[in-house]
Amino acid sequence: MTRSREVAWCVAVVLGCLATSGSLSGHHGTLVSYDRDQAWTAKAVVTEFRYVNPHAQIYFDVKDKEHAGHWSGELLPNPAQLIASGWTRKRSTEMLKAGTPITVTVAPARAGGMVVLMLRIVNDKGEELLGAAPPPGAAPRPVP
Amino acid sequence: MPFQPRDLAGIWTPNGNGFGGGGRCRDCGDRGFSMEFPVFTPAGQAAFDKNTPSYGRAKDSDDAKAHPEEHIGRRRAQPPALGNDTYGTCNPMGMPRASLYPDPVELIVLPDRILQHFQWGYGLRTIWMDGRKLPAAEDIDIPRWWGYAVGRWDGNTLVVESTGYDERTWVDHFGYPHSDEMVLQERYTRINYDTIELKMTLTDPKYYAKPWTSETKRMHLLPKTFIQSSGWNGLLEDLCAPANELEFNRLIRDPAGTGKPAEPGDKR
Repeated sequence: MTRSREVAWCVAVVLGCLATSGSLSGHHGTLVSYDRDQAWTAKAVVTEFRYVNPHAQIYFDVKDKEHAGHWSGELLPNPAQLIASGWTRKRSTEMLKAGTPITVTVAPARAGGMVVLMLRIVNDKGEELLGAAPPPGAAPRPVP
Repeated sequence: MPFQPRDLAGIWTPNGNGFGGGGRCRDCGDRGFSMEFPVFTPAGQAAFDKNTPSYGRAKDSDDAKAHPEEHIGRRRAQPPALGNDTYGTCNPMGMPRASLYPDPVELIVLPDRILQHFQWGYGLRTIWMDGRKLPAAEDIDIPRWWGYAVGRWDGNTLVVESTGYDERTWVDHFGYPHSDEMVLQERYTRINYDTIELKMTLTDPKYYAKPWTSETKRMHLLPKTFIQSSGWNGLLEDLCAPANELEFNRLIRDPAGTGKPAEPGDKR
């Protein structure tokens, strides 16, 4: 394959080959566990980030009255998807060290409890992390 | 771009992003085997009813009710914590499910066989091209997660026939069952430089009253350097390791599906 052909293919991947399924599906079918219509946003502090299969995980504390507590968050991307979108292990773990203040938007579990699906993570500089638009030159954002 | 229609070697992907989980690309078809309604035998219906998948539209949801044109198999998803998908504890997906999963597969062509190396699960399936005959279902002592497969060329189409699958694997993510008598035919045709088309027919008289045919699925050739991690090209080791999976299930999957706190302890 020539370089131009490779570029053309990659552009096709970015622009034309997005996910199609009528209902979204997480890597392990866990999406059905969460209610994205009940999403909420709060300020939080990272306690742990795990860059692992089958899904990356983030653990964080929230202090505001409505959602106070220690939460466990599932990220839809697995490491392969994070790599594809430019979020290498080094970059991800450095940005989400324990103690890092973040703003999270999450979908709660339908069954209740303290586990959520991570929809958005923003740091105190306003940068979107992990699920955000990929950096210039990186492969396209993973589609759940 | 010129191509040899019988040269299938390379890394092919049905993934919307090239590699790594998520959705299938727009022209590749979805994760389901077929939108055609299957016709079950009574035993097949019973097997179907026993399976509780976590893919598709949520069971009894407004979304599920709004799509009566879809078979109920695509409208009965429950949280994995309440399901019985053996894939949820890292068991091999088997076929045809692995070919419907949106991750790349490397086709390794050897003189007497073709190996399908699936990135997710790091699964390996052998298609024998040495002229051997497929064993009859009743002669198979031990069913296999990846079955027994033989291939031949019909013009420029690779025709793969397989059988002897472990009944614990599902036809697709929606929990359609198959028996130990399933015979799967796959027809792979390289239609241009970077596209393979796949058509499948499932014949399983124990569970299906008539053969069930898939839609045409597609996968695309990836540039050799496309999958890259740490400066290292080639399939990722996307192994479904129980040590990872059991911890994920304990900390995330099960609490999310039941509302109960994670059980204490590390199950690795």
